[in-house]
Amino acid sequence: MAVEHAARVARIVQHAPDTRSLFLRGPRIAFRPGQFISCLLPVGGETLIRPYSIASSPEEDDLEICLNLVPGGLGSPYLLGLPVGAEVRFTGPWGTFVLDRAPEAEVIFVADGTAIAPIRPMLRRAVATATRHPLRLLYGAAGPERLLYRAELEAMAREHTGFRFEHVPSARLHDEVARRWVDGDADRGRRFFICGVGAIVPALRDLLRGAGYERRAVQYEKW
Amino acid sequence: MSDATLPSVARIRVIFENGDPERVIEFDPARAPFQHDGKAGSILDVLLGHGIHLEHACGGNCACTTCHVIVKGGGDTLSASDESEDDLLDKAPGLTPTSRLGCQAVVEDPDAEIVVVIPRYTINQIASEHGG
Repeated sequence: MAVEHAARVARIVQHAPDTRSLFLRGPRIAFRPGQFISCLLPVGGETLIRPYSIASSPEEDDLEICLNLVPGGLGSPYLLGLPVGAEVRFTGPWGTFVLDRAPEAEVIFVADGTAIAPIRPMLRRAVATATRHPLRLLYGAAGPERLLYRAELEAMAREHTGFRFEHVPSARLHDEVARRWVDGDADRGRRFFICGVGAIVPALRDLLRGAGYERRAVQYEKW
Repeated sequence: MSDATLPSVARIRVIFENGDPERVIEFDPARAPFQHDGKAGSILDVLLGHGIHLEHACGGNCACTTCHVIVKGGGDTLSASDESEDDLLDKAPGLTPTSRLGCQAVVEDPDAEIVVVIPRYTINQIASEHGG
């Protein structure tokens, strides 16, 4: 059985009416950028297991998870209803969708909505390695006001000339990836880290691999 | 009573690499799901629904490798893996040619005779060398 940890909600940041970050304070755990914790939620008389990506960096004291209300879901209403001080039990870190060393090629991050969560610590780590390879983030959201960590990402782009960040409407993610990195040139040496909800993720995987990118060059996590 | 009216009985023999005693589960695949995590009728579903713990850190949604099992028999009675499962297995510690994710491998034959080994190490935590 996996080791269980217990933490307290130390702080809550409201990003939008249905989207919050919870900062969990407890025993400090080592993790790799991109990994998730598996929350054990007491809901309806049983324990639900729900994975949440860690949106903070390993160097920070608190574990940040970022989530929005999932219509019909059981885990997100529970977590979004927790006050500061509430206990959250979890196992982890888990997951192999990680980037924790200097990239050896241009890296394209593609995130849709709250799926920026695992990408954020990956990006921070990639930038911190002072890689000579370009880093790009294509961030899908309904509108610019829905971008999470926007000020941080814009600041990162100002401070690191190798990093560029662009917002596109979520519905255009597929076409924009195709236009830039499939139809745009014949370079197939890039690496991709893709995270999103539902069918867009395998669709992007299939698009890129079908266009000639190597299987392991296209990493993804589908929520 | 004719054979046609007899309920189907599928079997999964579960071998634990850590030395725990073997278990044999008999079940009717048509009665799936047996609980709420993983694909209905999957090895994870059957094991959890019959009181056998199998790690599934992502909730059984094909997003990690903690439910990795090694199928030693009856693999042809399970649903085929897809690209998402194969991509995750690619990063599973102790990968074998007959490795599957318990949450994705669905028992499709009502009379299946399946043997699975639960590896000693199903973790893919910080110490893992896998991933990129």
